[in-house]
Amino acid sequence: MISALGRVVATERRPNTPHEFHFWTALDSPVGIGTIVRVDGNRPVDGQIPHIYGVVTEGLSYTDLLTPMHDVLSHDGSPERAGFASAERAEIRLYSAAVLRQIPEEPLQPVPMGDVFLAQEEDVNVALRMDGYLRDGSNTGIPIGVYRAGGTDATIYLDADFLVGPEAAHLNITGVSGLATKTSAVEWLLASLFAHFPESRGSIAAVCFNVKGPDLCFLDLPGKLEDSDRALYEKMGVPARPFENVNYFAPYAARGYALNTLRSNEALAHNVTPLTWGLREVLQYAEVLLNRDDIDAKADALIDFITRSVIDQPFTDQMLSRSHLVQSFADLEDWFKDVLRGLENGNKESWRTHHVATIRKVRNRLSNISVRCAGLVTDSGPVSDLPFGEFEDRATYVVDVANLEEDAQDLIFARIVSKLREHLERRDLGVKHVVVFVDELNKYAPSDGADTYVRKMLLDIAERGRYLGLVLFSAQQFRSQVHKRVVGNSGTSVFGRMDADELAAPGYAVLSPATRTKLATLEKGQLMIRHPHFTQPIFVRFPRPAVMTGRMGAEQFPQGGEVTLEAAVYRSLRAQDSAVTMQAVEDAIGLHDEGDVLRALTLTLKERSGDAMATFRARLPRRITQSLKPRPQTAVLRGAPGDDPYGI
Amino acid sequence: MIWSKRGTSVSIDALRAIQSLLPDAEIVESDAPTDDSYAGAYNEAPHIASADLLEGQRLRAHRIDGDPEVRFAGFLDGIQRAKILCHRRGVPIIDGSVAAAIRVRVDRRYVTWGGRAPIILRRLYMPLALLGCEGRAHIEGFEIVDTSYNVRTKELVSRHPAALRAVALERIGRDREDAEQSLAAEWCIDGAEPLFVDGGISGTPRVAASRCAIGVIKSHHTLFADGDALDVVMSLKCGERSSVFAPPSQTRSPVASWYLRLRDPRGHDAMFGLVRIEVAIGDDLAARANEVSRWVLAESSPVALPDNRWDRMAYGIRDCEQFLRSIA
Repeated sequence: MISALGRVVATERRPNTPHEFHFWTALDSPVGIGTIVRVDGNRPVDGQIPHIYGVVTEGLSYTDLLTPMHDVLSHDGSPERAGFASAERAEIRLYSAAVLRQIPEEPLQPVPMGDVFLAQEEDVNVALRMDGYLRDGSNTGIPIGVYRAGGTDATIYLDADFLVGPEAAHLNITGVSGLATKTSAVEWLLASLFAHFPESRGSIAAVCFNVKGPDLCFLDLPGKLEDSDRALYEKMGVPARPFENVNYFAPYAARGYALNTLRSNEALAHNVTPLTWGLREVLQYAEVLLNRDDIDAKADALIDFITRSVIDQPFTDQMLSRSHLVQSFADLEDWFKDVLRGLENGNKESWRTHHVATIRKVRNRLSNISVRCAGLVTDSGPVSDLPFGEFEDRATYVVDVANLEEDAQDLIFARIVSKLREHLERRDLGVKHVVVFVDELNKYAPSDGADTYVRKMLLDIAERGRYLGLVLFSAQQFRSQVHKRVVGNSGTSVFGRMDADELAAPGYAVLSPATRTKLATLEKGQLMIRHPHFTQPIFVRFPRPAVMTGRMGAEQFPQGGEVTLEAAVYRSLRAQDSAVTMQAVEDAIGLHDEGDVLRALTLTLKERSGDAMATFRARLPRRITQSLKPRPQTAVLRGAPGDDPYGI
Repeated sequence: MIWSKRGTSVSIDALRAIQSLLPDAEIVESDAPTDDSYAGAYNEAPHIASADLLEGQRLRAHRIDGDPEVRFAGFLDGIQRAKILCHRRGVPIIDGSVAAAIRVRVDRRYVTWGGRAPIILRRLYMPLALLGCEGRAHIEGFEIVDTSYNVRTKELVSRHPAALRAVALERIGRDREDAEQSLAAEWCIDGAEPLFVDGGISGTPRVAASRCAIGVIKSHHTLFADGDALDVVMSLKCGERSSVFAPPSQTRSPVASWYLRLRDPRGHDAMFGLVRIEVAIGDDLAARANEVSRWVLAESSPVALPDNRWDRMAYGIRDCEQFLRSIA
């Protein structure tokens, strides 16, 4: 029999209501802000003793002193004399609690007088309405953490239907940087989601955008865990191990042949794939990169014409000097030159209703995309992309955009999310649900500023993604500065340690001052959770992610330096096929130019054949044989006279 | 409970009981005066009495040497409440409650003594002879206390309503004292630890003779010092006591007593911080007075504010009083 730890009290000035009640406890009771308690009423209502569940939101402590002056007088004005007082003053611990649930739920009445008990694990399940989705046979619980108070350890579950959809969806995390809140929480939650997402709800994968540092670069490597962390993993039934199926994608560096990622150490290259796009991939999302002030309706029309009638199909025109097959930025540049030459030669100002000035402007804007997004967008190289259509269940796809320019980041984000959406609409992505994790939402979906393409995409996911299985896990430092519709559509909100200034924003006024104070002082590994089933925020603890931290990974696996073309090819091919040797790569490359080599390398990595070296050789153009053609005969130089010092 | 216009409660079951006996009794609907309003009606006027010295030849001030010692283990106090429920042609019928409790100090905080539950008594105080219903001891579960006769003189009390009220209130006060003394007696049966009693200890011989009961009297209707002795008492400084004397009484048990100044009276009236202490008469009363004075001085902190008797009241007594007011 568990003994009561408090008694409900109510006065005319501080009455109880159906949503709030007050109780006092002994001075040494284990109650604190966030503690869940149960009140057992004294009298039955409709023949049933009412049980009220609440979470402590405020605490008061005071003595029988009327003014502080009385205490000064008590000790003759000397604090040292306080210890000599014969007794402590009568003191009260008075708490206010917000009602989580009343049973019976009707009639909804003010909380009655009664004994207050610390909630046990089964009470927590009822209080948070988790009993509705933790039933055998239809369990959709996803552990988010452990609620701890006074010896009670209760796992807190989110409802998968409200986390991933279709009921609600999306999750938003707020917390100050550097306190292992946002990234750690997402890593932990993804591990929990992969471990507990019910089979009946289909397959699930995650696409994570690594937007800063090495945060997400070592998800497949084990991290350092303590016994307390392992105990939490065990309690929540989540394997304490790193992610098993992780694929990294990163574009090349603008200058050089190494991938532009902090995961460029040779030992980790086996699951890192280049992310390179060509003309076709980029032109669909040209508006991401083009300045709306520059691109007017006329330019839009020309771009649309190029996309529809020029790209990837033979193009002939009487004005042009030859037929064009435009498949790359280099081809497009040739096409533009031919069009402009034709206009100049014919002394015309327009071609197919497009004015020469518009053509020049669009040429200028499009041709510098490959410069602005060098490494990602190739002038003439083939495409290497995420495996759209072949996504695997419980796989994580990390796209490292941390070192890229803003334009390239925007392009990557817009295209990948659009492709995910397209495939989910067609049900041919390979998985039924995709979690997209985006950090730094303050930057990508700010509440003010220009209406960017990326922000529109985020809004679209937030508002309509759940119907498709496209789920947004987002994070930021200042929730108040993120677009309201993005955070407002997040069914689940998670808060780590918060900045005091942020907590002063109007959006946090719904929290009690004590809850706000607790948020401002949360320890590492503690979170406050808001979930549609929980009528009040709940505080939980979560374990360290079982993956290597970015800092530790960067120390153990330092970034690879700038390498020669041969070395870059060797490293990439050897990750696929251990039989590849440096000598064989050097021989194969020979005198081929850099573009041909990178194209062949990308195609080889994409094909993933058993004999990488043979595939690589086969993808190289046969230029070496051409270069060995007999040199044309040249005139023999006349010999210089022996007495002419300036003769040749 | 029914509620008067000012929000105080009246016991409806008590009213029912009275009306079953006296159907023509008139209910006092307005807030009846509290017992404080009648205090002067039955209290004696302040006066001075001489006392025999038990220490030295003349009463003088003694400095208490040594640091205060926290020795009291329990604190005993009682409360009383009275409310005029109704009257029959001016004869008041009073609902009286008394309560007493001992609070013990555990880990520097006060809890109710586990040896004996607090005493809570509720009775109807009424002059049965004047109401024409002599011989009744109970009405519908309520115990009746007959206030027809003066306890001291055994004479029928005056028909004057104020005199009737004063007698009833005096009986309630005696009941409170009885409740306190019975608790003190129980403490003293096996109590080796000192008990701080709010008020005198001379009401019960067993308590008056016990070394563990220490009475501390805050009010001084009777000052046991005359002439030069009174000057000495009024001039006591903080931490000084008077010589030990024996308060004269024909009805109460003999005890040893002395005055002790708990707080510096400068800037206050002469009674500020002045208490009178009663202990059992024994050997070496001077040493005993010094020892007990150190114990009482230790109870001057924390201050019993916001009670207006804080200069003389121990915090343990205030705690006990607050406890009783919350349950009785």
